[in-house]
Amino acid sequence: MSDQTHARSEHDIAPGDEEQHSVGERVLGYVVGLALALLLTATSFFIAGTDLVWQPSIPVALIVLAIAQMGVHLVFFLHITTGPDNTNNVLALAFGLLVVFLVVGGTVWIMGHLNQNMPPMDQIMPMRR
Amino acid sequence: MLGKLDWSAIPFDQPIPLIAGAVVLVAILAVLIWVVVKGHLPYLWHEWITSVDHKRIGVMYILLASVMLLRGGSDAIMMRIQQAVAYQSQGYLPPEHYNQIFSAHGTIMIFFVAMPFVIGLMNLIVPLQLGVRDVAFPTLNSVGFWLTATGALLVNLSLVVGEFARTGWLAFPPLSELSYSPGVGVDYYAWSLQISGVGTLVAGINLVTTVLKLRTKGMNYLRMPMFCWTTLASNLLIVAAFPILTATLAMLLLDRYLGFHFFTNEAGGNVMMFMNLIWAWGHPEVYILVLPAFGIFSEVVSTFSGKALFGYRSMVLATMAICVISFMVWLHHFFTMGAGPDVNAIFGIASMIIAVPTGVKIYNWLFTMYGGRIRFATPMLWAVGFMVTFIIGGLTGVLVAVPPADFMLHNSMFLVAHFHNVIIGGVLFGAFAGFEYWFPKAFGFRLDERWGKAAFWFTFLGFYVTFVPLYVAGMLGMTRRLQHYDVAAWRPWMFVAAAGMAVLTIGVICQIVQLVVSIRNREALRDRTGDPWDGRSLEWATSSPPPVFNFAFHPDVRGEDAYWDMKLSAQQQSLDHAAPEYHDIEMPRNSPTGFTCAFFATIMGFALIWHIWWMVILGGVGAFATFVVFAWRDHDEYVIPADEVARIDRINLEERRSLVSMAGTI
Amino acid sequence: MSMTATAGRAHADPHHIGLVVEHPGPAPKRTVTAYGFWVFLLSDIVMFSCFFAAYAVLADQTAGGPKGSEIFEQRNVAIETVCLLLSSFTCGMASIAADVRNRFWFYLGMAVTCMLGLIFLAIEFREFADLVARGYGPSRSAFLTSFFSLVGCHGLHVSAGILWLLTMMAQVFAKGFRADVLRRMMCFALFWHALDIVWVGVFSVVYLLGSGV
Repeated sequence: MSDQTHARSEHDIAPGDEEQHSVGERVLGYVVGLALALLLTATSFFIAGTDLVWQPSIPVALIVLAIAQMGVHLVFFLHITTGPDNTNNVLALAFGLLVVFLVVGGTVWIMGHLNQNMPPMDQIMPMRR
Repeated sequence: MLGKLDWSAIPFDQPIPLIAGAVVLVAILAVLIWVVVKGHLPYLWHEWITSVDHKRIGVMYILLASVMLLRGGSDAIMMRIQQAVAYQSQGYLPPEHYNQIFSAHGTIMIFFVAMPFVIGLMNLIVPLQLGVRDVAFPTLNSVGFWLTATGALLVNLSLVVGEFARTGWLAFPPLSELSYSPGVGVDYYAWSLQISGVGTLVAGINLVTTVLKLRTKGMNYLRMPMFCWTTLASNLLIVAAFPILTATLAMLLLDRYLGFHFFTNEAGGNVMMFMNLIWAWGHPEVYILVLPAFGIFSEVVSTFSGKALFGYRSMVLATMAICVISFMVWLHHFFTMGAGPDVNAIFGIASMIIAVPTGVKIYNWLFTMYGGRIRFATPMLWAVGFMVTFIIGGLTGVLVAVPPADFMLHNSMFLVAHFHNVIIGGVLFGAFAGFEYWFPKAFGFRLDERWGKAAFWFTFLGFYVTFVPLYVAGMLGMTRRLQHYDVAAWRPWMFVAAAGMAVLTIGVICQIVQLVVSIRNREALRDRTGDPWDGRSLEWATSSPPPVFNFAFHPDVRGEDAYWDMKLSAQQQSLDHAAPEYHDIEMPRNSPTGFTCAFFATIMGFALIWHIWWMVILGGVGAFATFVVFAWRDHDEYVIPADEVARIDRINLEERRSLVSMAGTI
Repeated sequence: MSMTATAGRAHADPHHIGLVVEHPGPAPKRTVTAYGFWVFLLSDIVMFSCFFAAYAVLADQTAGGPKGSEIFEQRNVAIETVCLLLSSFTCGMASIAADVRNRFWFYLGMAVTCMLGLIFLAIEFREFADLVARGYGPSRSAFLTSFFSLVGCHGLHVSAGILWLLTMMAQVFAKGFRADVLRRMMCFALFWHALDIVWVGVFSVVYLLGSGV
């Protein structure tokens, strides 16, 4: 299968590739990504260990920060954009995320109900009178 | 030195597996000796075993599936006979043996018959329909096939060296945990599926990338044949679902080998989590199997009605809807495990909703047939047989999707009848339809119509005679996997089912006879033009079999039913074109990577099962070395010169010209 | 019969979708290879999510053994996180170097990435060995099973990544920046970045959330 001689812009871009910029611009992109990621990481660690925030909000905050940092990685390191040449890449990612959400969310929901209705024997036995 | 392996692993005291194993061994040796003595080994090695050609790999997948169909079918015959005679008696199969048989039957039929069959057909046809020269990753394709073959080999090896799992085809804990299954059976099951699972995942990645990134010029998504759409949906499901199987089996293996506590009864393990995860894979799996079958029927119905498929866009929508919803219904496999009415209701409703897009498809096929000029060739018989059978199976499915009904019918023979109804009526009929339809394309001659029709009728009738009694028995309270029973009411139905099995067996024999007769008469059945059925899609634009490069020029597609348009325009123009200018074509080189990789995987799998640790390391190093050798090669393509391309292409053009001038109208 | 269809056909677009951008044909090899690997990565993410799901279900099943808060050491996790994050950055540098065919920066970037990855693995190995020595190994409780499995699965992927990294360096040394070597480098970079994304999930869900348990 020989390579096409068509202009590159007619085709989708490979995931991980970015439009050809100068070396300096590309390095800057990674530096910005690194800085943002370090900032988000530091915030996560701080939030987890501090008493300064309302305690029940900590799990939500950690998850939001994690999702944000994953986004930083996707944009700055993996160069996933919303351009039309990136659509296939984004769609594949979206499908994967949907499945992850269904599997993890579904499992937690189902197992939570099962554990409540069908507790293991060592928890049933003490209930007997 | 040899871990747990010693002479007691060979079942000298059990006549049935011993004799069966001996017979198979003799047969294999005989074939091998014949091949070597006749000098066919170099041909086989260079043209088939090391081939990276999607057409060859597709054929090998289907060959594997057909051979394993005989093994799985033998298990089924044994089960039906046992259940016919085991009324107030132990029958002829002791429980520990019977349990292995139904476990092997399910495992083999799903993983080594149905999956390879549909993957083989997709591999064979999709690049041709897309107008390209091969799949996205040809060498990886070979790796995927050979790893699947490794899995099949290991399962069959368990018949003579050791034992198989006695847990059913999904190996539920705690029975599958080490404390209740201390033997090697579950290990054979788990490692075989892990290895072939890698092969399946590789095929999934290959076909998704092929459909999304490798289509000929002008073939937008909405101009793809329906089979390519269902291939896309099915392989997206493979890529999304098989990792769940890998993870879950890995967890079970960690429990068994390293004393982990995922699914144990003690230390906080959760047995129910296994059911949840394995069915999160298991439900998409059945859609992985049936979606390609739906695609085959779209092609067959459209071709043999002489009409474009009715409602193409609604078919596409229905296919993708099934793809997504199939990930939202898996709890219906364990309504009775106790998640409660809220959870059960949601999944029950989703399970009923998923029947709607399938209904859309059925209506579209019917409307395609309506007003068409229908030819009842064998593939069309399978299609119509499918429509009747699958509707019944689907209806019983919607019935058990209602949780209160399922509380009565879960794990009864009604359920067994339901899933065989949809798998046989859907997947197997689809596989046979595809086999009949595309056999001429793969081999250059048609199959004998009379034996094909006989095979259809015996299989169709045999299916009903076998499985309708099982519906009745289920309604009468019979549960599944019974080695013996003492309820008199069930007995007559078991007899009828066993008789039905005999009819089914005749159907399978007819298929074999069809093949033998067709090979002997192949000159009379020769397909000279490459278009024996007056087809509509691009695979029929090539010769039969196609040249290694498929198309001399990438077709330029302007609409749906690309080849049909071309035929009409060619007819109008009376085929007067200037002689085209041929170019050199680069094709991927054959490679022993797939076979070698699978060889080491077999060694690793066997060693892991029997706890032979030094052999595991050896196999692992070998597999890694294979990849490094592959990565280091400098020449991964070879060139077919333009003259050769021209020579091959002109032969087919001549045949087609003579057909058109003889026939006048197509 | 030539395969080029005729122009000016009335029936070219039966569904009248309107302005149809004509599909240009099969994509270039670089796109095809990277997309296939992208799809594989998504399948790997689904596999990780099963271990995440198992962790979520089993996290409170301590069977009389230790809870997360009793065994997690935030300092080590922080160092591991920074190591992996920096290694993603240096991997990016190596990718850029490969694209512009600069051998020195490529080898340097890859070597530093390798170092950081090995430091990560060393810390993680020490954590595991220490827990096992104290009797808090994966067979102690379901919580520890799921912890060791999820974090260990990630660690195994990192180990495989290091092997791949070294192979890539050897390939560039032996073959130079050939097209197929560059494609593989691209896949490696995708893999390495994806591993860091998974680690974000691991340290957030397991170590940080778990420290409050």
